[in-house]
Amino acid sequence: MKYFILTVLFIILPPVIAWGQDWVVPEERKGRLSTFPFTDETRQSGEKLYLTNCISCHGNPGKGNYINLVPSPGDPATEKIQRNSDGEIFYKLSVGRGQMPSFRNVLTGDEIWHVVSYLRSFNKNYVQKVMQIITSSAYPGAVIMMTVGFNEADSTVIVRASAVDEQKTVPVTGAEVRLFARRYFGMMVIDEEKTTSESGTAVFKIPAGLPGDKEGNIHFSAKFADEDLFGIVSKDTTLMAGEITVPVSLLAERSMWNNVRKAPIWVILTYTIGVIGVWGFIFLIMMKLRDIYIIGSFIQGKKSSEAI
Amino acid sequence: MNEIRFSSPKEQGKLDSVASDVLRNVRISKAFIIWIGFLFLALAACLYAYIIQLKEGLGVTGLRDYTSWGMYIANFVFFVATSLVGMLISSVLGLIGYNWVKPISRIAEIIAIAFAAVAGLVIISDMGRPDRFPFLFRFGRIQSPILWDVTVVTTYLVLSLLLWYFPLIPDLAISKNRLHGRPSFLIKVYELLSLRWEHHESQYRILKQAMRILLILIIPTAFAIHTVTSWLFAVTPRTGWDSTIFGPYFLSGAFVSGTAAVIIAMYFFRVNYKLEKYLTPFHFEKMGRVLILVSIVYIYFNLNEFLVPGYKLKTGDAIHLRELFTGHYAMLFWGVQLVGLVIPVILLLIKQMRRPMPMMIISVFVLAASWLKRYIIVVPGQGHPNLPIQNVPVEWVVYKPTLIETAVTIASILLVLIIITILSKLFPVIPIWEIAEDDHDKEKLSGNE
Repeated sequence: MKYFILTVLFIILPPVIAWGQDWVVPEERKGRLSTFPFTDETRQSGEKLYLTNCISCHGNPGKGNYINLVPSPGDPATEKIQRNSDGEIFYKLSVGRGQMPSFRNVLTGDEIWHVVSYLRSFNKNYVQKVMQIITSSAYPGAVIMMTVGFNEADSTVIVRASAVDEQKTVPVTGAEVRLFARRYFGMMVIDEEKTTSESGTAVFKIPAGLPGDKEGNIHFSAKFADEDLFGIVSKDTTLMAGEITVPVSLLAERSMWNNVRKAPIWVILTYTIGVIGVWGFIFLIMMKLRDIYIIGSFIQGKKSSEAI
Repeated sequence: MNEIRFSSPKEQGKLDSVASDVLRNVRISKAFIIWIGFLFLALAACLYAYIIQLKEGLGVTGLRDYTSWGMYIANFVFFVATSLVGMLISSVLGLIGYNWVKPISRIAEIIAIAFAAVAGLVIISDMGRPDRFPFLFRFGRIQSPILWDVTVVTTYLVLSLLLWYFPLIPDLAISKNRLHGRPSFLIKVYELLSLRWEHHESQYRILKQAMRILLILIIPTAFAIHTVTSWLFAVTPRTGWDSTIFGPYFLSGAFVSGTAAVIIAMYFFRVNYKLEKYLTPFHFEKMGRVLILVSIVYIYFNLNEFLVPGYKLKTGDAIHLRELFTGHYAMLFWGVQLVGLVIPVILLLIKQMRRPMPMMIISVFVLAASWLKRYIIVVPGQGHPNLPIQNVPVEWVVYKPTLIETAVTIASILLVLIIITILSKLFPVIPIWEIAEDDHDKEKLSGNE
């Protein structure tokens, strides 16, 4: 009995504890704010991202149709979630916990802010505060900026980081930078982590044949790896660095999975010839029944005339 | 007037005796009325269950998101399988030249017609909206095995009907003057269906020509009907169905259940219709050997179907096979394989067991196991799909047929029995002219009394 109770406790307790525990966000992250104001555009982008990444667990905001997990994912429109600060929501989306995945390498920093902007649209009392300056402990008082460019000659992407304050602009040196390219789901790491040089640049080699869109565009996102030292610094850019890829619909050609008008010729032929062949014979055989009947009628007619 | 005439009086006498033996059973007796009345009454009760399903939807069955193909589809596969025996007996064995199949061939055709006819209805019972059945043709995709299946089942049914009807024509002509005291509508039906048959040489020539075409045509059709039925499963990547040998595996299994069904029917007609002179221990002995052969072929395919994935144990297969071998379905699986396949083969190897009575008992086990085998093929794999559905109530995962589902399934079996009863009671169940014509049968007929 003792063991039974213990077993039950072991099964029940962990989720309960997980549920009961508050999700602690580091103090310095709580106050983080978006560097751009939330607009209809950011809300729309955030909604799109929400429908792709979040709806499967959290449901439609305000509808309470989140799925039944422990700890509960909860409806993001509720007070419980809305009373988090912008920085807290941003941190939770980035880092994740338990079954809530980390979106740090799935969405760019800007995209996570777009999701926050969408979630805030369900809170009437929300008034956004925008942070203009990203403070960095390494460059106090300075704003860290990045530029991302493509060098077509050797097929590289060059990231240049600099710290700007009121007086001067200095290159950010010795900072670890990662470069991501957006794909269907999440981000793909390009090359490997680089450290900025004396001039504040990091050079990433683009793999040959990296597919872009119809114009060859690839959406890149450069990020500082050490968030504690530099704060969250990221830069999203679209560059013509990929191969031109014109997507071909899987329904363009005749195939087994296509609709009936686009059935493979061989299927149409085999089926039609088979059906016509067999039913042709069936028709012939039915005609033989007619022959039997005609012969019988003829003989009967002859017999009855003989009888007369 | 239009009576068959044989040259010698001996042969004529034989025809008379065969006709009187066979036609003795063609009558609407009290027992027949009670039996068919019982069948229709039971059918009405079971159809009430179907009306509930029609009103409430498939929710009244055990079918849910996980197991969407349950008892109905298993039953459908069993019906298609059993109907295949018509082709095996009349065509394959007949064309090889085995004359002993003559008295059995019509029984085999009746079974083929009954099971093939009801198989299509079973599919409709699996539809939540049967009113949308025509959509299958309006919006059907020619690439879909479902459309192929509808096509071949229909074709097979028509061919089986023709294969039953053609050799019946001379019998109808022989019988129509010998049906004294039977209801007049029956005599009229005989008159109509005998198509003014005069036993003329040219009529026999046409008949035999048509039979030859039919016997050849039905072989590819029968192969197609059950191969396509197996493809309904095998073209999906689902564990347990994703198999390249499903076509021959289904075909060989079909011959097992069909042969068992024919043996049971043979025994029934031998005893109840007093046809001991025609369905002799010799025929049972032969059918016993056929059952051994087809069972061994089926065991061979079972070995392939389970040993090869069992050796590799890919993740999905491992889960599936554990369920079958030692898990939830173990009792059913081993019961079916042993009682329905291995033990019957061992028993049938003993000559004494190939006598009518023991053969019939063995066949009942084989037939019941064949039904359960289809259940094992259809249901277990769906419990653990490649992409599990999240947050599904447990009663949606574990499939259990409901009472309504069982009643509708029983209705289909009753329908089969009704068709068999009508065809075998209102028409000669043994081909009269073929038996009378066949001199070679003489020793066998007299030798086994």
